[in-house]
Amino acid sequence: MSDPLLELEGVEVRYGTVPALRDLSFAVVPGEIVGLIGPNGAGKSTTLHAVMGALPLNTGSIRLAGQPLAGLAPEQVARAGIALVPEGRRIYGGFSVEENLRLGLAARQEDGADEALAEVLSLFPVLAEYRKRPAGALSGGQQQQLAIGRALVAGPRLLLLDEPSLGLAPAVVDTVFAALATIRERGVTVLLVEQRARRTVAFCDRTHVLANGRLRTTLAPADADDTRALVAAYLA
Amino acid sequence: MTRLDTALGLLVPAFLVVIVGVLAATASRANEIHYLSALVAVAMVVAIYVFVGNSGVLSFGQISFVAVGAFAAGVLTVPSQSKSFVLPDLFPFLRDTTVGNLASLGIAAAVGGAFAFLVGMPLMRLSGLAAGIATFAVLEVTHNLLREWTSIGPGATTLSLVPETTDALQATLGALAVVLVAWFYSLSRPGRLLRATREDAAAAQAVGVSVHRQRLGAFTLSGALAGFAGGLYVHMLGSITTEQVYLELTFLTLAMLVVGGIASLWGAVVGALAVSGLDSLLAKAEDGSFVWDAPSGTRLVVVGAMMALVLVLRPAGITGGRELSLPRRKSE
Amino acid sequence: MSLVAAVDAQTLVDAVGLGAVYALMAVGIGLVFGVLRLVNFAYGQLVMAGAYTLAFTSAWPAAASIAACFAVVLALSLALERSVFRPLRTQSPAVMLVTTFAIAFLLQSVALVLDVRDGTIGEAARSLGGLNQAVSVGGVDVRKVTIVAVVVAATALGLLALLLERTTIGLHMRAAAADFRTARLLGVQADRVIGLAVLLSGLLAATVAVILTVQSPLVAPDFALKETIVVLVGVVVGGIDRLWTATLGGFAIGFASGVINGALPTDKSVFLPSAVFALVILVLLLRPAGLFARGPAVERV
Repeated sequence: MSDPLLELEGVEVRYGTVPALRDLSFAVVPGEIVGLIGPNGAGKSTTLHAVMGALPLNTGSIRLAGQPLAGLAPEQVARAGIALVPEGRRIYGGFSVEENLRLGLAARQEDGADEALAEVLSLFPVLAEYRKRPAGALSGGQQQQLAIGRALVAGPRLLLLDEPSLGLAPAVVDTVFAALATIRERGVTVLLVEQRARRTVAFCDRTHVLANGRLRTTLAPADADDTRALVAAYLA
Repeated sequence: MTRLDTALGLLVPAFLVVIVGVLAATASRANEIHYLSALVAVAMVVAIYVFVGNSGVLSFGQISFVAVGAFAAGVLTVPSQSKSFVLPDLFPFLRDTTVGNLASLGIAAAVGGAFAFLVGMPLMRLSGLAAGIATFAVLEVTHNLLREWTSIGPGATTLSLVPETTDALQATLGALAVVLVAWFYSLSRPGRLLRATREDAAAAQAVGVSVHRQRLGAFTLSGALAGFAGGLYVHMLGSITTEQVYLELTFLTLAMLVVGGIASLWGAVVGALAVSGLDSLLAKAEDGSFVWDAPSGTRLVVVGAMMALVLVLRPAGITGGRELSLPRRKSE
Repeated sequence: MSLVAAVDAQTLVDAVGLGAVYALMAVGIGLVFGVLRLVNFAYGQLVMAGAYTLAFTSAWPAAASIAACFAVVLALSLALERSVFRPLRTQSPAVMLVTTFAIAFLLQSVALVLDVRDGTIGEAARSLGGLNQAVSVGGVDVRKVTIVAVVVAATALGLLALLLERTTIGLHMRAAAADFRTARLLGVQADRVIGLAVLLSGLLAATVAVILTVQSPLVAPDFALKETIVVLVGVVVGGIDRLWTATLGGFAIGFASGVINGALPTDKSVFLPSAVFALVILVLLLRPAGLFARGPAVERV
């Protein structure tokens, strides 16, 4: 097992006096896809935002390849090599698809911006087709592809996805997961937050279950069909 | 909040007002004006608080109501012999009517309230920035009309010869009255409904609260109280000009409210007294009657700086923006 | 006599000039609002500071005087951003508005203290007085400064549009104005974008100071206060949420003021402010989000 790319240790996050994450510890190794599931309000989104530096930590530490992320502003975390595909996609509807992608280049540290753009456009052909059109004209699934593409263009070491299948039709969800499979093949490490428990558990190398801000259990793909284990983990 | 807390919410500000009133009554002639202006300031700021504090809607126009109240009370109490001479263009009805002191205060409140109602009917549908600008526009229109329309007042000249009937007793009682009304309003059903809209207007509307109606009610009440305060003001100064009820007063009263704590009654009182006190101190320093000499204009600088500082460092104001409550033992 | 008949070419030209200056100020206010969501009531004080600098350096060669003006305004803008706007970022719009209101009074009062030391209020800025002369264009007297104002405004707006649409930093600024949180998560540097907005805003304020002192050389602490108030009103009426609607609002209110002023008979023109502000109230009632804002006026209660 190589050195972890992302490491959370004893992380506690509060909204005012209400704890959202308690004593959260887990690691993500380079090349892995790790899932994070759990009921609403469990703290999954909070975890991603804490990693991105958008939420302050009460205690605990978050490290990227050994370097602590404490006190870094979100744009600095992005530039350190972590890209977030936010919940609800948060696309700039008034801008063109190309402008949205170019925006993603803001975090890019190395050269090769044009190649990265070309790669993303080949990964998601619909984006090439709608290149100059306003992003607001895209369908939900297409916007999701744009959001992922926008994150990839930055050449991140770690990709965070916050419920990418939210609000999408099942067929479209397939496209999204197919894209994630390709991304995984290209060696990008992924932390995937999802609502769809079964599919996530089946897809990811490991899936952590979060409930009430705590890590309850970790499931392997083999557990995907074990409904009892899933329910028990959610209700624990 | 316990019953005791509620009572404290009235008693503490009232007590402060009474203390200042006593100081006013026992002060020297030269200093009396400072205490009186503090009391009148309390009346104005609490009037503003009734609307701004309870609704959460920022209004830059409340001084308009102080203005109409002041001018109404002023014009109607200038001795009739002088009026036709000094204010030749007045409407006959205004020129020929002269009322007593208390009546003028009542009329000031009525005029302020009526004007507020008229203006508020359309305007209370607005929130946020639009409300701020629209109420500011009301201030501008009021100022312009008072300044140029010589049929209703002195126009650009000073209205003088107004009887100086605001003494320590009247100022204290006046301020107390305004505080009392504000307190009653806060506790009343309309007051509570309005505060609900302040927290979450959409939710309040969803349970059937008419945001427009509640805001209009508070706005009208605020206008009436402000008009009343204007009456006290003009009778304190013995004269009035349009510039005295315009931008600078708007800034000062807003500063007082914000520094004290925008969302509470006692914040309004504390803010008014504190800033008024500072202002008076600086005014004395400016004309050299104090320990150190300050160049003219310093008082606005310091008040402005203080307001900015409080806003940056402690936006909730001196009182923290909450109503008074006794410290409670944490029973978790 | 109908309004239309009362408006002649002279009035129109002057109104366009006024609109141009107001448009420049509107952009300055709109840029800062876009990235900071802060309405800078103290914007006029930046113009005032520039005007005072021009006044105090009247004896210098014009170019040096103008350079000093720009330097002072830029320094003041950056100082304001650092000391006031930055800590205020998390506050409600009401608190921000009141604070900048306080800063406006504070700066005005400081100016009063500094100015009055020589015994009188007001300093004269003489640098570019030549521009106040008029040339005759097709029978209409146009002051050179009006032409300068229009040309400068058009150029500035054009350059700004290019910056925003064609450059990376412009893209970042637009993104920050539309959704700052997401922009930061994508790597857009907040400080840089805000710094640029403040810088541009300052440049525009300095430009306005130069143009206004040509028309009104006497500088007092309330220099540009009336204009700022009117522009702010115009910006909100136009629609503060987007830069071009804000600019249009600024231009529109300037133009409207100019036209109404020229059209009203002299004895009635004292009521100009009432007319303008009554119009403002009307517009805000009909379209609270702004005259040019997109979609129906949905009231955010």
